[in-house]
Amino acid sequence: MKYLYEKDLRQMKYNILTSTRHDETVHAIAERLGMGEAKLRRTILRRFDMSLLENLESRWQMGQEHADNGDAVAEELGCELFTRFIPLLDTETMQTIYSETTAMTQEIPFEEAIARGRERIREAVLS
Amino acid sequence: MKKTVDVSIPLGPMHPCWKEPVRIKCETAGERVLRAEVELGYMKKGIERIMRGRPWQEVMFLAERVCGICSVIHNMVFIEAMEEISDITVPPRAAYLRVIANELDRMASHILANFSYCYTIEHETLAMYLLNTRETVLDNLERLTGSRINTAYMIPGGVRFDLLPEDATAMLVDLMKVEEEMKRHTRIFETGPLIALRSKGIGYMSREDAIRAHTVGPTARASGVEDCDLRLRHPTYRALGFTQITRTEGDNFARVMVRFQEVFQSIDLIRKCIETLPDGPIRGGGFCKAGETSYAGEAPRGELTYAIKTDDYGRVIDIAIRTPSVMNIEACAHEMIKDASSIADVTSTFISSDPCIACNER
Repeated sequence: MKYLYEKDLRQMKYNILTSTRHDETVHAIAERLGMGEAKLRRTILRRFDMSLLENLESRWQMGQEHADNGDAVAEELGCELFTRFIPLLDTETMQTIYSETTAMTQEIPFEEAIARGRERIREAVLS
Repeated sequence: MKKTVDVSIPLGPMHPCWKEPVRIKCETAGERVLRAEVELGYMKKGIERIMRGRPWQEVMFLAERVCGICSVIHNMVFIEAMEEISDITVPPRAAYLRVIANELDRMASHILANFSYCYTIEHETLAMYLLNTRETVLDNLERLTGSRINTAYMIPGGVRFDLLPEDATAMLVDLMKVEEEMKRHTRIFETGPLIALRSKGIGYMSREDAIRAHTVGPTARASGVEDCDLRLRHPTYRALGFTQITRTEGDNFARVMVRFQEVFQSIDLIRKCIETLPDGPIRGGGFCKAGETSYAGEAPRGELTYAIKTDDYGRVIDIAIRTPSVMNIEACAHEMIKDASSIADVTSTFISSDPCIACNER
């Protein structure tokens, strides 16, 4: 059911996301995930509310400083960064990807395992 | 957003407890709030866009119009950013006068925030007492700057008006009165059993959550985040021996109490400034140059950042303002309100984080 007072917020959300600082942040996240900016922007607009969009830059900044310290696989995948700091994925999905990637590092080279893990993250973000 | 429950309760945009329009959509299961979503856009000013291309003389007036409650600090951060770009030094007397204006503004803001909280939890008596005390603080801001709200007190290289000895004496007398009244109000708040029922343990945010959402100001300090007050790094405040106030409870009560404690701290800082006010000029002069900087100052609600780029004529080419409410409102909606045990606690928790929608929608 669509209420009369429900507004279409996409344009306003887009305006927040394309301001100077936010644009730089989206660019950095897209580069980290290895995906297109337009696709990431669409996902963020769909999933985040306006206050989270406004705070995207600060959360990214804090994530860079505090997330995933100590674990090499988690650091490469951005386990905490993309679940608790910037909630693009839920923790269960990320935990599954992390466990599978950690298992893969025993069988194949580390870089390859991380690349596969990132591919799974991209798929999950876009799904 | 995907619906997970059948009951969605919208609060606002026009709500008796909100000072400004904002809509919070709460998804609930019975009384429990599962998640909250914030809708903004009811008072967008586009002030950053208006600022671009204008000379600093115009932008300084626009900067303090971002927010009416903490206008002095917007003025101060913009001017100090311009001074940093242009290598302009401030005479010691002017630096102390800036602290006095800033702390009076902080007191007015904190008292208003606590008034709003008391009003929201239906303790109107204390709310009205607080509003009455705030008038004295605003009178003193007017005594120093000539204006109560948009003061435009600071200019590159100094301040516009000096503090006369008779005004300094009158200010000290008024501060004594404010301190006495605030002690009484704080005691009412601290010992009120009904206030405790509505405040203690409500709207809890852990230190980790506070750091993750980059909360700032009293909201962060009430959750035990250390070294988050930018006054610790400001040279004038360091000279005055400033120390940060921190509490560890992380609930509504702690956030309000931090603001009460900071009012007393502001009173002490102003007293120290007046007692040790150096002699000398209040304006150093200088020219605004081309450059780029990102400068942050401690607003009443927390870290306020101005990223500015100027040209040779002192015109602002690009500007991005990050206000404390951007972080605090987000943290409130996604950390404090989430999993609240009653829908009645949503309004009080939201107000306890001292949200400023004007700042958020600059």
